[in-house]
Amino acid sequence: MTYSAPSTADAQPAPGAGDFAASAEHVSKGYGRDDARVVALDDVTVGIPRGRFTAVMGPSGSGKSTLMHCMAGLDAVDSGVVRIGGTELTRLKDKQLTRLRRDKIGFIFQAFNLVPTLTALENITLPMGIAGRKPDQEWLDRVIDTVGLRPRLKHRPSELSGGQQQRVACARALASRPDIIFADEPTGNLDSRSGAEVLGFLRSSVREMGQTIVMVTHDPSAAAYADDVLFLSDGRIVDTMREPTAERVLERMKGFDLPGGTAR
Amino acid sequence: MMTKVTLRNLAAHKVRLLLTGVAVLLGVAFVAGTLMFTDTMGKQFDDLFSSVGKNVAVDVRAKKIGGSDDDGMNAMPIPASLVDTLKTVEGVKDPEGQVGGYAAVVGRDGKVVGGGGPPQMGVNWTGDDGSFKLASGRAPSGPGEVLIDTDTAKKAHFAIGDTVKIVLSGPPRTARITGLIDTGNLMGATVTGFDTATAQRLLLKPGYFSEIQMQSSGPSEAVLRDRVAAKLPDGLEAITGTKMRDENKSDVEAVMGFFRTFLLAFALIAVFVGAFIIFNTFTMLVAQRTRELALLRAIGAGRGQVTRAVIGEAVAVGFVGSTLGLAAGAGLATLLQAMNGGGSLVLSARTVIVSYLVGVIVTVVSAYFPARRAAKIPPVAAMRDDVAMPQRSLRIRLSLGGVLTVLGAVLIGLGLGGAASGTANAVLVGAGAFAVFIGVTMLAPLISIPVVKVLGWPFARVMRVPGRLAQQNALRNPRRTAATAAALMIGLALITTVNVLGASIRASVNAQIDEQLGADYIVSSSGNGVDAEAAQRIAQVPGVRSIARAYSGDAVIAGKKVGYSSGDMPALGRASKLEMVSGSEDPGKDGVLLDEDTAKARGVALGGTLPVTFADGKTVPLRLVGIYKKNDLMGSRFVAAAEHLAHTPQPVIGMVAVDTGGAKAPRQGIENAVKANPALKVQDQTDLKDEVSKGIDGVVAIISILLALSVIIAAVGVINTIALSVIERTREIGLLRAIGMGRRQLRRMIRAESIVIAVFGALLGMAIGLAFGASLQQAMSDDGLGVLSIPYGTLVVYLVVAAVIGVLAALWPAWRAGRMDVLKAISTD
Repeated sequence: MTYSAPSTADAQPAPGAGDFAASAEHVSKGYGRDDARVVALDDVTVGIPRGRFTAVMGPSGSGKSTLMHCMAGLDAVDSGVVRIGGTELTRLKDKQLTRLRRDKIGFIFQAFNLVPTLTALENITLPMGIAGRKPDQEWLDRVIDTVGLRPRLKHRPSELSGGQQQRVACARALASRPDIIFADEPTGNLDSRSGAEVLGFLRSSVREMGQTIVMVTHDPSAAAYADDVLFLSDGRIVDTMREPTAERVLERMKGFDLPGGTAR
Repeated sequence: MMTKVTLRNLAAHKVRLLLTGVAVLLGVAFVAGTLMFTDTMGKQFDDLFSSVGKNVAVDVRAKKIGGSDDDGMNAMPIPASLVDTLKTVEGVKDPEGQVGGYAAVVGRDGKVVGGGGPPQMGVNWTGDDGSFKLASGRAPSGPGEVLIDTDTAKKAHFAIGDTVKIVLSGPPRTARITGLIDTGNLMGATVTGFDTATAQRLLLKPGYFSEIQMQSSGPSEAVLRDRVAAKLPDGLEAITGTKMRDENKSDVEAVMGFFRTFLLAFALIAVFVGAFIIFNTFTMLVAQRTRELALLRAIGAGRGQVTRAVIGEAVAVGFVGSTLGLAAGAGLATLLQAMNGGGSLVLSARTVIVSYLVGVIVTVVSAYFPARRAAKIPPVAAMRDDVAMPQRSLRIRLSLGGVLTVLGAVLIGLGLGGAASGTANAVLVGAGAFAVFIGVTMLAPLISIPVVKVLGWPFARVMRVPGRLAQQNALRNPRRTAATAAALMIGLALITTVNVLGASIRASVNAQIDEQLGADYIVSSSGNGVDAEAAQRIAQVPGVRSIARAYSGDAVIAGKKVGYSSGDMPALGRASKLEMVSGSEDPGKDGVLLDEDTAKARGVALGGTLPVTFADGKTVPLRLVGIYKKNDLMGSRFVAAAEHLAHTPQPVIGMVAVDTGGAKAPRQGIENAVKANPALKVQDQTDLKDEVSKGIDGVVAIISILLALSVIIAAVGVINTIALSVIERTREIGLLRAIGMGRRQLRRMIRAESIVIAVFGALLGMAIGLAFGASLQQAMSDDGLGVLSIPYGTLVVYLVVAAVIGVLAALWPAWRAGRMDVLKAISTD
């Protein structure tokens, strides 16, 4: 806030920053110390294009969740710069980060997405409630109809199926019209039909509402719903793929499991 | 293996169990501190009273009239000539007549030294004995000389040679100090010594003694006692020195016993409150470990093993809590002892055993139900993702709670109604209150739902989403909210009861003064009565229309010791607004008046006679000349002044009622008339009311402070519940933080939940307290507690205090929740 270098987002957007909803430049992140140190991200540079559905793939331990956490401002990086829109996250204090998450980012987690004491509708409007803002009713209606939850709005999470719960989580993420939505294995706990419903819904929100979504997954058929796929292995981006299909993704995944060797 | 599980769990849940330990610690500290402190005081008194009169072989005194009652009636003095008679008894050595009475020293500031509890004793100085020694100076001789004790001399800055004013039952006198008496530790009592003739004249009756004590030149105490007894006239008795010392001791022990029981009652309340906290913590720990316990069951642990593993934790917590509590109790007792003049602490085996028993048993019993629930967790719960403890329907619990509450109310009703006798009634009321507390606690989950909705409403309005979440969180587990609130409920219920009673006593006394006090001024003494000369002077003050001297005494009527009043009629009748039902209000020289109920109970009609045995042992048939309406100032019986004075060795004017026809002007004159005696005070009706209020406020304050500890323990319980809820909701809090809830909002949310729970507990407690207070007032409405008064202002203050407790209890959990790492919170298993 007080210091702004020439290349800083607020003052002078980096070249091409306008095209990316979020970006990471030379981001590194490790856990543990000395011998036990594990490098989760190794000098990653990546941009998430606006209005597209991006899947992040990789085997367990490849660093895909860490990348998402760092880009969403949930985790701090060791070095490098992370931007959301024009804002450099790596410079923000907790309070500002919290506000940014509230206003600019939507989240969908694998499980425990909802506050059990609130109804579906209350959960959907929760981020706006926390901010003390009134939801845009027209938009809210559209989101609710799109996820098909209108008859269930008064129900508590415990009265909803797993798929319905995840759709409520999607609706919550969309309702505040964030710049970007991060989804962490959103279908990991669902059966394939419910999963397909949720993924189809995410894709249509990108196509029809122009939403930007980043989804971490290890399921090739889930990745097939995305517009772009980033492949991570050993903390590096090893490949990208446009207009993926499940078969192509699966092939690619098989490919880099062999030479890497260090994947845990 | 299960032992290892228990130990690992203890290590893993240190912080959670710590607060449970604190609840045990505080309760045990109170119990242990009480026992140690009262033991220590008891031993000091014991030492003191074993040394008092340790050389005495036989003591001659007046027989107590009216049964074996220790506090008997005014004892008849013993003629001095008896000493010479006793000298002729074989084996009697140095018989010494003792004179005892009221005498107090007036300090340089014009105020009486000592008093307000410990006695102010006047004695005849007969030289050093077992307990009193002449520390310096010489023995007094003649009416102008006096000894005072060294403590008094130090306190009032008097030295040998100074002239002091001495307040007595009669007019005060001045005397020169000829020496100081070393009395040892008398716990605040003061001693003034005169030569025997002066002591007899000032304290008793010339030529008489209160007691005669003698040593033995050989024969045993019992043999000597029998020999002495043979020589005694009617009305006197001889007892052995051992018996005398034992009686002194048992008097003190009775007082200490009462004091100990009084404190222990509060300690037990604190322990009872602690039990709620322990129950709650273990319930929550078991719920949080459902999966882990299910896993143990799945791999083959039996139900009993799971129960034992949890009970094992309880035993460990109870043991550690008791140990620390014992230490804290010793600290507490040392502190009290230091304020009480120091001296080493008595730590008896009983104290240690009781402390450990209380601590461990309470913890284990409180943890038993959660442990049983733990055993009921089905092994399959380990496999399920979304596990919830099987929640039994509230219905059984509610009906049981309802039954217990009603049963408790009935017990209280029976106790207050006097269904049993004496102590048994108190036990009935206590057991009833206990049942009501448990019953209401069981009902509390149901009550909590509407009340928490209402209490949470303002938070939801003002703080919006965090406020709503707080309200919902408090509603989420009604059992837990209820159990936490119930702990606070107990303390506040009792504090409210005491406050309602205090306010009602004050209001009732005020009403009594308004309705029944006809006098404009009352002159009374902080020492031993108003001296006759002062009364004379008051009567002569210009503007004083009349004065009424009031006496009181004990007599035996129909084999029972009863109190009576006496004094100047008809002036006293006017002063007490006496209303006659029949007959005359003037008892004449030998008449007696009774109130309606007493006359009816006695079955005496107007003109009939009533045989009354006075303190001197003489029985006189008194004629019933009048029957009056119930009068609190007059009491049930009024005996003609002439009879009272004739049969009382040292009559004391309890108070003088002054009639000025409503004029305020004579007050200064009355004040001047009593100025010579600093123990006397002049009060109008307002002063009397103030004095009563002050006394009640003092008692209410002391009891409230003693109850405060249980409120503190309950506050620890609120901290515990909120902290455990925060841990339990780690993931949810992580989610809220991830989607943008700020730290401050989070803290506010937690604080609001805490406040709602605390205020709910306070409201429950106050409702029960009001019910208790009102029933007690109703039960005693005929015993001078006719007015029910509810101190609304005070209750509002307590409600605010409860809210503050809520805020304070949330401090630490909220701070912890705010510090939680968002990422870790959402990825916690």
